[in-house]
Amino acid sequence: MTPIMRTIHWMNAICMVVAVATGLYIGYPYYQTLIADPAVDKYVMAWNRWGHFIAAIIFDVTAILIGYLYLFSNFEKPYKKILPTKKNFIEFCEVFFNLMTFNRRKKFDSSHSDSYNIMFFTLFHILLVFMLLTGLQLYVHGLGSGHSSIGAWWPWILHLSTDWTLSVFGGNMGVRIAHHTTMYLLIMWVMCHIYYQIWRTIFWQEGDIAIVFSGYKFAKNKKTEDK
Amino acid sequence: MVDSQDMVKKVFTQKSARIDTNKGEEYYNCLFENAKQRISMLQKQPALKDIDMIDVIESEGINRRDFMKWVSATTATLMLPPMFEPLVAQATELMNRVPVVWIELQDCAGNSEALLRSSAPTVDDLLFDVLSLEFHETLQAAAGHDADRQLEEAVEHFKGKYLLFVEGAIPMANDGKYGTIGASGETFHEHLMRMSKDAAAVVAVGTCATFGGIPAAAPNPTGAVGVMDLVKGKPVVNIPACPANPANMVGVILHFVLTGQIPELDSLLRPKFAFGYRIHDNCERRAHFDAGEFVEEWGDIGAQNNWCLYKVGCKGPMTFNNCSIIRYNEGTNWPVGVGRGCIGCSEPDFWDKYAYERPMANANIKAPTGGVEKTVDEFGLGLLTATTIGIGLHAVASAIAGKKSEQNEEE
Repeated sequence: MTPIMRTIHWMNAICMVVAVATGLYIGYPYYQTLIADPAVDKYVMAWNRWGHFIAAIIFDVTAILIGYLYLFSNFEKPYKKILPTKKNFIEFCEVFFNLMTFNRRKKFDSSHSDSYNIMFFTLFHILLVFMLLTGLQLYVHGLGSGHSSIGAWWPWILHLSTDWTLSVFGGNMGVRIAHHTTMYLLIMWVMCHIYYQIWRTIFWQEGDIAIVFSGYKFAKNKKTEDK
Repeated sequence: MVDSQDMVKKVFTQKSARIDTNKGEEYYNCLFENAKQRISMLQKQPALKDIDMIDVIESEGINRRDFMKWVSATTATLMLPPMFEPLVAQATELMNRVPVVWIELQDCAGNSEALLRSSAPTVDDLLFDVLSLEFHETLQAAAGHDADRQLEEAVEHFKGKYLLFVEGAIPMANDGKYGTIGASGETFHEHLMRMSKDAAAVVAVGTCATFGGIPAAAPNPTGAVGVMDLVKGKPVVNIPACPANPANMVGVILHFVLTGQIPELDSLLRPKFAFGYRIHDNCERRAHFDAGEFVEEWGDIGAQNNWCLYKVGCKGPMTFNNCSIIRYNEGTNWPVGVGRGCIGCSEPDFWDKYAYERPMANANIKAPTGGVEKTVDEFGLGLLTATTIGIGLHAVASAIAGKKSEQNEEE
């Protein structure tokens, strides 16, 4: 992973923790604010919403960056790995078999990101984009005047890109439920992701966990091993 | 630039995208001239009922000053500048020139009830004495065949001119046999289609008529739908809420009297002047929402101090309506004002998606898996537990099988 990709990765991770924590509060304010300050001084919900929106907007920007790198990266262009070619299909199945046979069968090149992994990350980013669109739709409800602090173009863009969610999920409560449910899918994904990376580190013995810290992992050299 | 923006907007966005409360001097001057012409035209028409509005309100003990106060409030509600006030006053006096036919379908007559309790000048006056209500099953004296005849005559006489108010959903299951009218056994659907054919515009009043409302709640045995699902090729105005706020009904009629047109609508065909903003945006408890001060249970310190009702199930942040501004029952109060949360009664699918009087997190709503009643959170926790178990099993299996493969290698 390049430094930019690693930065994006950790920014995403932090944003996600913030977004989940504040999102749960917004959905159901789970801690008490019986502080003896007047309402104007404490602003707890407002701070939670602020945190949620800031995390979301950083998420959105990194999502655009990742979308760009996905297609135009100078290093590896991930989209090439999800094209429905025979090679990709075989690789996808082989990596899956590797996971399911507990590493008894490993017939693919693990020195680069494989088709299975790219599919896994693509799914994550589709979920993220979905969160982005439904979240912005919920947000734009408050901008009924069509104006915002940065001009009329912003709510206009939000309506343009997210109004379709209203018809798909049947009104704003449907969008809200979809947004909330997808959070669980994302947490599920993260659990699987962390597990898989640790599992790979242990079983492949190639130091996979280092990818996201240093940018590199070891790759076993087949030729030297065979000797 | 602006034109192409508008064109793209038209293609991709819902019409609700913007509430323009100030459309500029040019627009209002033009509208003012049009309204003046329309009013002088209406003035030349013979009154359908020979009753003078001012006489009526004075006989009810409402003085001119109270009337003008109501006029300015109504002008503001319609999002018109103050220069329209004299025209609104004139239009009010000319409401007996626009015929209204009110039909009732699958409903509880709650909207008729609400209309009777409209704000000053009390709509008892507006309704019985001034407004030319040509037909209203619940309020009229005629019954049976007389009522049928009255309706036929009204529709025939005011062809293309009357406003058709529809209250109640339309049952479509079983060929509409769940609701029939009169001796002919005409179904509600046929009745609506026949009445709307010659109407100038159709106004769906209340959540039943607009989105199906309670009759359309799951499992919707009668196959109830709203007016806008059936009436096509005709202006349809939706005034949802349970009951619809009479101020908004009067607003739509006034707007029609004033301009000869229906007001500007959003994507759900609701007038923007009433449904442009969420009730949350103008709620008197909004400061407590932002402060994180919530009523935790009924009667606690928060409830005594009028804190935010979000945690006891208020759906205000999702509900578009003007009740937090104009309120109900002659502006006396509204649900959040009396200390209970909004149940989102003016939103589509309100009974299934909003009306549980608990916050989202404690609500039994249908999980996306369908069928089983579960909250999203229970469903989500279930998913996470299943994932944890799956990961655990795989990890244990890997640990055992992994050792084996190492042994194999050693061998």
